Amino acid sequence: MKKTIMSIALLGLSSSAMAEAPGGPGCGWGNLLFDGQAGFAPHFLATTTNGTSGNATFGMTTGTNGCSVDGKLTYGGKSLLGSIMGEFSEDVARGEGEALNAVAVMYGVEQQDRAAFAAAMHSNFNSLFPSEDVTADEVMASMNEIMKADARLAKYVA
Amino acid sequence: MQFVCTKNLHHNIILVLSLCVLFAPAPSWADSSTNYITSLQQGAIEQELWREQEWINFLHYDVLDKNNDEYLSQVDDDRFFNAPDGKTNSKAELLDTLSAFFQTEINDDTHAQCRFVARLEWLSKKLEIDKNRLPIKNCAAYKEWREQVNADHVTMVFPAYHLNSPSSMFGHTLLRMDKKFGENKSEWLSYAVNFGAETNTDDNSLFYAFKGLAGGYPGVFIVTPYFKKIQEYNRIENRDIWEYPLNLTAEETHRMLEHLWELKEMNFDYFFFDENCSYRLLELLEVARPGIELTDDFSLTAIPVDTVRAIERAHLIKSVEYRPSQATELQHLIDDMSDEEQEITLDLAEDITISESDRFKNLPPEKQYLITDAAYKYIRYQQTGQERDPAQAKHSYELLKQINIYPKTEPREYSVPTAPEVSHESRRFSVSAGERLKLAYAELSYKFSFHDLEDNEHGFLRGAQINLGNIQVRSNRKGTKIHQFDLVDIFSITPRTDFFKPLSWRVYTGLERQPTGLEDQLVAHVTGGAGVSYELWQDSQVYALAILRLEHNNDMNNSIEPGAGLLTGLLHHFGTSTAHIELSGEQFKDDIYRVRSSYKHNFVISTNHSLKLTARREWHSSIRFSEIALSYQYYF
Repeated sequence: MKKTIMSIALLGLSSSAMAEAPGGPGCGWGNLLFDGQAGFAPHFLATTTNGTSGNATFGMTTGTNGCSVDGKLTYGGKSLLGSIMGEFSEDVARGEGEALNAVAVMYGVEQQDRAAFAAAMHSNFNSLFPSEDVTADEVMASMNEIMKADARLAKYVA
Repeated sequence: MQFVCTKNLHHNIILVLSLCVLFAPAPSWADSSTNYITSLQQGAIEQELWREQEWINFLHYDVLDKNNDEYLSQVDDDRFFNAPDGKTNSKAELLDTLSAFFQTEINDDTHAQCRFVARLEWLSKKLEIDKNRLPIKNCAAYKEWREQVNADHVTMVFPAYHLNSPSSMFGHTLLRMDKKFGENKSEWLSYAVNFGAETNTDDNSLFYAFKGLAGGYPGVFIVTPYFKKIQEYNRIENRDIWEYPLNLTAEETHRMLEHLWELKEMNFDYFFFDENCSYRLLELLEVARPGIELTDDFSLTAIPVDTVRAIERAHLIKSVEYRPSQATELQHLIDDMSDEEQEITLDLAEDITISESDRFKNLPPEKQYLITDAAYKYIRYQQTGQERDPAQAKHSYELLKQINIYPKTEPREYSVPTAPEVSHESRRFSVSAGERLKLAYAELSYKFSFHDLEDNEHGFLRGAQINLGNIQVRSNRKGTKIHQFDLVDIFSITPRTDFFKPLSWRVYTGLERQPTGLEDQLVAHVTGGAGVSYELWQDSQVYALAILRLEHNNDMNNSIEPGAGLLTGLLHHFGTSTAHIELSGEQFKDDIYRVRSSYKHNFVISTNHSLKLTARREWHSSIRFSEIALSYQYYF
């Protein structure tokens, strides 16, 4: 699995397709910071039933949600960053946390380089998040640049 | 057919031959694949595989009568069965499943071989199926899914109690499929397996409750990334999450995933009480580890915490992990602050320029960090579930920038409360002796579920009373009668603070005795109210609620008599005992009033045993009286 994810992440990133925003509408790449719960609008009913209404999901990347999933940090068919951007920004601000770690894992960053990844993100908070209106694909583009510039992390985006 | 024929040749060639002609599909008489299927089916019949527990588990059969082969599957979906009568006929289903595996008309992912992967694996082992003879070589969709939902161990997840929605009052359980790199703390990327009702968005909550209880919704398995569950429970609902890594092996985990795939999009009847989220997960565990029996205890109800206890008894739990909710984390931060620091936090959450003020800047950097973090968390807490507010987003962002100024932090350690599975059991039986209206009485009572305000609070949400189905039968010298029956009694007392402003509320309905006229008679009522609660000193809860009541009472003018009143009280938790003083009163339209006072004190003997003292004094329009009682309570 690790290998698969690594290769997926690497494949996606090495194609240097940053100019074109990945995915489609509803994939979460255009999500703004602090927007992560927008999809939870019909939440109340869903939780009163422990269940779901409408599109039941089964953890498939290719679904009926019309997302193009070309592998760039996607999870469950959506942009991982778009889904957890609020939590990720908090972890970047603090320099640690599970959201930060999840992103590192999706990039294929090895255990021994996770601390370097966390430190690089922490010290580049302002360029990753230049304003509260930053979108997920912009954050990923910056993340890519930061990693390229870091001796230990460059190999993950080469 | 060949096998049958040769075996019987010696005895009655003519009869057997004619049987073969009758039952064998004529065009495939010479087809070697048909012969192979037949020999497999014969093998299955000889081994009586349709009676084996694994098969019964895969098909979710209730065994009504094993000797007469009477079965009923709980799956309510034709697509799940290969035999026309597969829902009730285990044997036919097994034989038809075997032939479906060799079907050649379908050659894509809808082939039985790609859909019933766990059955295929098991039957392959039992019958030594030659996989080279199977028509489908690659099940692309299944393969892709297994690459996505790849796991080699499983964690049971219990989001704690949450009073503000009907199904979460009792908590909830789901399974988490953990990946091979789980040791790297990537649980966020694990997949959660959740069984829930697929509801109609047009139904409101009350209708849901009714329909859910009655089994009106189909239940389905849903597989989503675990971080979505963290967002849902930890953040949106502010429920702490308990995680129980299980000791399932990689092989057992794989078997569970194979079977889960068979259940993709399959409809089960969903019943809130018994065949609910928790029950279905136990079934998955039974599939994973053949031979364990988890569901037998839950023929009537499956309360989520009881299912956690069941897997604990089956020695499946490796360890216990605790994931505090957003609100719990914030509460911990606040608890460690002085009043002045709390004030600065609230001000900073209103106005970012406070971070430039002297009263902020004069604090040591660690304190500044904590205050900024708390202010940030507070805003996010308030914004939870709301539409994105640009001003609040900007404010949150500025606080994050402020947090980023301080050096990188280490993960914060939170104190872990008592885990839910070590709480008292869900049902209660009690024996009491007392005196009411100057009559001595003995009482037996049974409570179907779950927790009183005065019960041992360890492992429960403080101030949350959730009772369903409580009945009290009393004997005195006049006879034996039902004294009280509470259908539903939910009481939520959550103290308000400078940061959190919850409502306290109560919904209570059932039968109780009221000496309104000359006779002490059973009246029916619906009582509900809302109000506020505060923690005046540590471990106390004081509350006041406005109450509305509808009562059906033969001694009142209207068949449904409306009334209004007040409900106030004080709870104090001493640790091993809890005291509860309550004063309530109601005035009915029919000029009848009641004022009631009570003192209850529950002494915990051990987790599942307690002694309770109750004293009351009541003032009614027509009568004043007292009651005193001592009860022994046993939870089971």
